[in-house]
Amino acid sequence: MSSATTGNARSYFESRRTGERIRKTIMFLLLAGAGLVFVVPFWWMISTSLKTMDDIMQYPPAFIPKHWHFQNYLETWTSIDFPRFTLNSLTIATIGVVGHVISNTFVAYGFAKIKFRGRNLMFSIVLSTMIIPGFVTLIPQYILFAKIHWVGTYLPLTVPGFFGNAFQIFLLRQFFLGIPNDLIEAAKIDGANHFYIWRRIMVPLAKPAVITIALTTFQGAWNDFLGPVIYLNKESTYTLQIALQMFKASSGLSQWHYLMAGSVIVLLPIVVMFFVFQKFFIEGMNISSGTKG
Amino acid sequence: MKNAKKSLLVLSTVALSGSLLLTGCGSNGNNAQENQSANQTSNQASNQTGNAAATTTPEVKEKVTLDFWAHWGSTTRRPIIEKIVSDFNASQDHIHVNYSFQPFGEGWTKELAAVAAGNPPDVIIQDIFTVGQRAAKKQATNLSEYINQDPSIKDRFFPQLWDASLYNNEPYALPFNTDTRFLYYSKKAFQEAGLDPNSPPKTWDELLADAQKLDKLNGKRIERLGFYPDDWGLFLDNADGKLMMDKNGPNFNSPAKIDALNWVMSFNERLGKSNVDTFKATFGSKQNDPFVVGKLGMTIQTGTYFAQIKDFMNPDDIGYAPVPEMKAGSGNWTYGGGFVLEIPYGAKHPAESFEFMKYMTDVAAQKYWSQYLFDNVANQAAANDPELSTNNPVSKFATDNMKWTLVSPVPNNAPDYTSVSNPNIESALAGKTDAKTALDKAQSAVQDLMDSNK
Repeated sequence: MSSATTGNARSYFESRRTGERIRKTIMFLLLAGAGLVFVVPFWWMISTSLKTMDDIMQYPPAFIPKHWHFQNYLETWTSIDFPRFTLNSLTIATIGVVGHVISNTFVAYGFAKIKFRGRNLMFSIVLSTMIIPGFVTLIPQYILFAKIHWVGTYLPLTVPGFFGNAFQIFLLRQFFLGIPNDLIEAAKIDGANHFYIWRRIMVPLAKPAVITIALTTFQGAWNDFLGPVIYLNKESTYTLQIALQMFKASSGLSQWHYLMAGSVIVLLPIVVMFFVFQKFFIEGMNISSGTKG
Repeated sequence: MKNAKKSLLVLSTVALSGSLLLTGCGSNGNNAQENQSANQTSNQASNQTGNAAATTTPEVKEKVTLDFWAHWGSTTRRPIIEKIVSDFNASQDHIHVNYSFQPFGEGWTKELAAVAAGNPPDVIIQDIFTVGQRAAKKQATNLSEYINQDPSIKDRFFPQLWDASLYNNEPYALPFNTDTRFLYYSKKAFQEAGLDPNSPPKTWDELLADAQKLDKLNGKRIERLGFYPDDWGLFLDNADGKLMMDKNGPNFNSPAKIDALNWVMSFNERLGKSNVDTFKATFGSKQNDPFVVGKLGMTIQTGTYFAQIKDFMNPDDIGYAPVPEMKAGSGNWTYGGGFVLEIPYGAKHPAESFEFMKYMTDVAAQKYWSQYLFDNVANQAAANDPELSTNNPVSKFATDNMKWTLVSPVPNNAPDYTSVSNPNIESALAGKTDAKTALDKAQSAVQDLMDSNK
């Protein structure tokens, strides 16, 4: 009613503001809805991890546990050798990160900043390895590792990381291409060699991309199931992903409460790492999508 | 420049020592072998020295270490298998067995790779249906040589399990455990529906009649189901006492099996398929069981199911009976499966491995396994041990039910036959085709598959 007396301009801005508000509300509801879809399974996992087996068997199933059974976590931790498996996973993942960061930044620097004959051809060959599915090379690789007596050790899971990864080389090369050559020229004039430039200039400048590949490598190694399951034979060398399978039953009832508590424990480091490094991670991932041509 | 060279040196030192450390860290199955060959070398060396000194040294028997793989890792199964293994180790001064958990199914893929690479484990728990396939592909060791030394071993086992361990009439495995299916019913629900809790259904007609009395329907919503033939294959096997697929080939479209499929389909027609699907979806997560939570009056399950009853229900409220027969006199047939012990092809110590397998299938180990896990074991004497019934009333019943249990290997030229037969049967269950057409198609699809793989 009052808008009639205050003129057209005000009514125009007000309606615009209302429109904006409605749009934002709808957007918020949509995002919240989508968020909920992602959160529900996650909550279900946490909720199951806090129930007793009796509560799990209840019908209808309770979304919120009747009694919060935090002992499940302690029992999961002690019922199998969790500290040992965590240490094993951590060792493999950490060595993997070191290997991938060193080898891929090194190779990518070469492809991005050093001119040599056949560079493009070699880069294409490296990229073309991306189209070979891992399953194709699985058996020959296994036989090779078995012949050199590496099966049963961590070597098949860690050493290949020191020999480059096509996607990560590509990602880092794109990042390096964006760093001006002037910096390299200046360093060269000051007497720096390629190794020095790589270590002191390129890698520090490519921090977001380096952190991205470190994170994806860590996550890949941490979540890897097939590699450890094929190459490791002794239980004391097993990783967390294999250990989780112990709670699953081939017949009869799985120990869901332990399985879920174990899954939460295993998931936690990845979630924490993502939150800590998310700024770099998003920046780093943008490089791969935003550097066409 | 100097600085850079120094860094390079540091870096390569780190890389090198890292890989050395890894080699050190990675303890493996080979270590045992390496140690052994080292022992052998030193033994040979000492023998030579002995010879040189012209003295005779008595032959020292070395301790053989065996790797044993199985998928039992849960806090219920693992302690039992570990106890059996440690009992065996304690009884031996020549053989030591190391037990390693392998994820279910994945361990078998791993074995395949390990056999191909020539470094398999010594003993493995495998699937009973596929013994012939591994025998034909040279993935398992022929055990004739060891069985011939003591032919009575084969009499330990239920005959159908022993048959399933043969390929071209030669043994490639020793059966370890098995399963059989029978009817569990809620006595409480029976009473509530006005049925006699001591008189479970004997035929399919009675099963259907009792199920209808137990059904609690609220309009379209199913509150409780009396019974639902979810495992339709069991009813097809039960109809004429012949497995849909046995070692000789497919038997899908006998008149009795066609009648059986029609009977199974009648449940969907009566209750409405979408209502049944909604009901089943409630329990789709497999975290809770409709029978345990009182939403199902009768169910057909294995003997091990009793473990759940014992943990989550009052066992006195539950009755059990053989699978009802299609018609009076047609037989309470059901199907079974199980696991066997095998020596992967190329394993280094087959004689010692067989010794361990003999122990695993002997009465003491088998009885212990059955006693604590309510599992059906392959050794008949152990399965019939009266002591087992003391803490497991189902034990004796399940053992007796073995006479109705059909176990057969799948022909080697159709290992994956269900991928061509089941879609046909499922389309009949979805109401898209009739039972006869579906089973005829399933029969010819499996036959074609076998012919094309000849």
